[in-house]
Amino acid sequence: MITSIAWKNIWRNKTRSLIVIIAVTIGVFAGIFSMAAINSSVVQRIDAAVNDELSHIQVNNKDFRSSADIQNTISDYTGVVGALQSTQGVTKATGRIIIRGIASTATKSSGVEITGIDVEKEKEIFTLSEKIIPGTGSFFETETKYNTVFIGEKLAKELNIIRYILTPGAIASLREERIPEDILTKIETLLGQRFTSDKKFVKAYEKILETNEIQKYGWKIKEAAWSYREGSKIILSFLDINNNQTGAAFRVSGIFRTNNDMFESFSLFVPIDELRQLTGMKEGTFHRVIARLENNDITNNITPVIREKLPDYEVLNWKEIQPDLAMITDFIDQIYAVFMVLILAALAFGIVNTMLMAVLERTRELGMLMAIGMNRRKIFLMIMLESIFLSIVGGFAGMAVSEIVIAITGRTGINLVKYSEGMEAMGYSAHLFPAIDAQFFVTTTILIVLTGIIAAIYPARKALRLNPIEAIRTE
Amino acid sequence: MKVIEIKELHKIYNSSEVKVHAVDGVTLDFQEAEFAAIVGPSGSGKTTLLNLLGGLDYPTSGQILVDGVDLSKLKSSDLIDFRMRNIGFVFQAYNLIPVLTAKENIEFIMSLQKVTARKRNERTFELLKAVGLAERADSRPSKLSGGQQQRVAVARALASKPKFVLADEPTANLDSKSATTLLEIMHELNHEEKITFIFSTHDPRVVKMAHRVITLEDGKVVSDETTE
Repeated sequence: MITSIAWKNIWRNKTRSLIVIIAVTIGVFAGIFSMAAINSSVVQRIDAAVNDELSHIQVNNKDFRSSADIQNTISDYTGVVGALQSTQGVTKATGRIIIRGIASTATKSSGVEITGIDVEKEKEIFTLSEKIIPGTGSFFETETKYNTVFIGEKLAKELNIIRYILTPGAIASLREERIPEDILTKIETLLGQRFTSDKKFVKAYEKILETNEIQKYGWKIKEAAWSYREGSKIILSFLDINNNQTGAAFRVSGIFRTNNDMFESFSLFVPIDELRQLTGMKEGTFHRVIARLENNDITNNITPVIREKLPDYEVLNWKEIQPDLAMITDFIDQIYAVFMVLILAALAFGIVNTMLMAVLERTRELGMLMAIGMNRRKIFLMIMLESIFLSIVGGFAGMAVSEIVIAITGRTGINLVKYSEGMEAMGYSAHLFPAIDAQFFVTTTILIVLTGIIAAIYPARKALRLNPIEAIRTE
Repeated sequence: MKVIEIKELHKIYNSSEVKVHAVDGVTLDFQEAEFAAIVGPSGSGKTTLLNLLGGLDYPTSGQILVDGVDLSKLKSSDLIDFRMRNIGFVFQAYNLIPVLTAKENIEFIMSLQKVTARKRNERTFELLKAVGLAERADSRPSKLSGGQQQRVAVARALASKPKFVLADEPTANLDSKSATTLLEIMHELNHEEKITFIFSTHDPRVVKMAHRVITLEDGKVVSDETTE
């Protein structure tokens, strides 16, 4: 009956209870949703790093990373792959040739890392082949007598392979996206002009458009004017196995787009046989073997096992290669803790206030309950339950709202395109897909109930200190 | 049979400047099924005596024995338990639990005593019938008149079959008709249930119906008359 009374008591003053519940709901939603957004950003970054850039495990010749010398190859490729594939948790492994060089076009050049890959195996291990920008070609699928290269959008821009031209088709596509006619009229003055870099193009439309128009439509105009001529050529120069300067012209097979500007501008990929031919590296020689694991979580456990099997090589996992990624996951845990402390503190204050008011309003009734024989333990329990119910109702409502909004935005995504330049420079996507695991909800529920309990202690103690004789006389 | 024995009871309140001798050497006995009224002018010590009898306050000296148990010797927690099992209370302002129905208010004490649901139900309807509110079992206090609420309060006080019921000015907030109905019901229940009723009152209707009238003045018993 105490439980029933406590539940009924919270609905005595519906307005006040609803205000507290709504406040708790908003607080919990804000906390969970922010965490889901931040979490998704980090998860997306880690996934991108593992799926497109690093893989889970890299095995190198011990001197390779420090000198990047073409001679520092893996001496026993078959043995290394065998050791990796016999390790539980490792799903795939493949070798790569990695050399430093210069990519150049007629107008620009840039320092790059050229990675020779086994195209078919690479497709099984990485998702980079899926990151191709539509209309820019393929992941080495087109038959050609030329050498081919798969490059990032950023590098393509740096090498002036990508240009910006406002064609009538681009204007039409902007019209379809409901860009206001007055904006279209203004930018029509740029029709047909060719801009060799996005900076030049941006500068051009900045002269025509107002600041607020640029903020609102600038990126859409840039996207529409993006132009690429399929089969563009670049020259790759590098040292061969004898340390002689060599190089060749490569046709761009396709252009990929990731959320990592640095990776896009520095990494390019060529079929391993083409690179062997040009460098003179023998069949079966590799600089690096990369391996995929069943999932990210087993990384820390499997790394020492592989390290033990391959003592003559440098074995690194993705956390060690990019310690910032490992650090950010720890950092997220700390942000989570701070968020939760803030939310729960606000929740606690709200509950303390509400329950104190409730105790004050019900002084006479509490006095009567003590008089007729309701012991202190039961009075304490009743006040506690009221507080817990308030927290639970608000907490669950907050979690339900969060779940719904996360489910919707998890599908549609949140587009932070305005900040894309900054975010992508750090390797983070500007398109977030909020997600959070069930464990987070369980932890949050437990914390909310605990807060409800802690917050009720003071009002409940206040109720216990009442003198029944004086309390009954209270008006 | 003696239900309550009061021996040389004193209650002194020490305020900062003056000592108030609210109950001054009271010695009384109450028998089973008595219907007694404690009367006296304001400040005569009626409510203080009732609070001491109800175990809501400790005497400065003297003894209150209920079935041989000295209330002044009980710890606060034991006193609460003792009140729940042995004493029924009826307050001037009804003091029902507003979120519970009439039936639930009556059941409440029995649920604290862990009486089984079946027995609680039987006793509740027996009392609701006795106070003439069987049809209002599911009404909340806010839907009942003052008289009806006080009748529910009487039923609640009797629910656990206490040794005695203390009623502090039970008719003070009621109109004449409601007060008369309430008193008749209490009188009948006193007769049927053989439970001692002790009232503190100014109401002449209560005094008229009481079998025994104890008059207090300045904390002392100045008269103790039994009437039939």
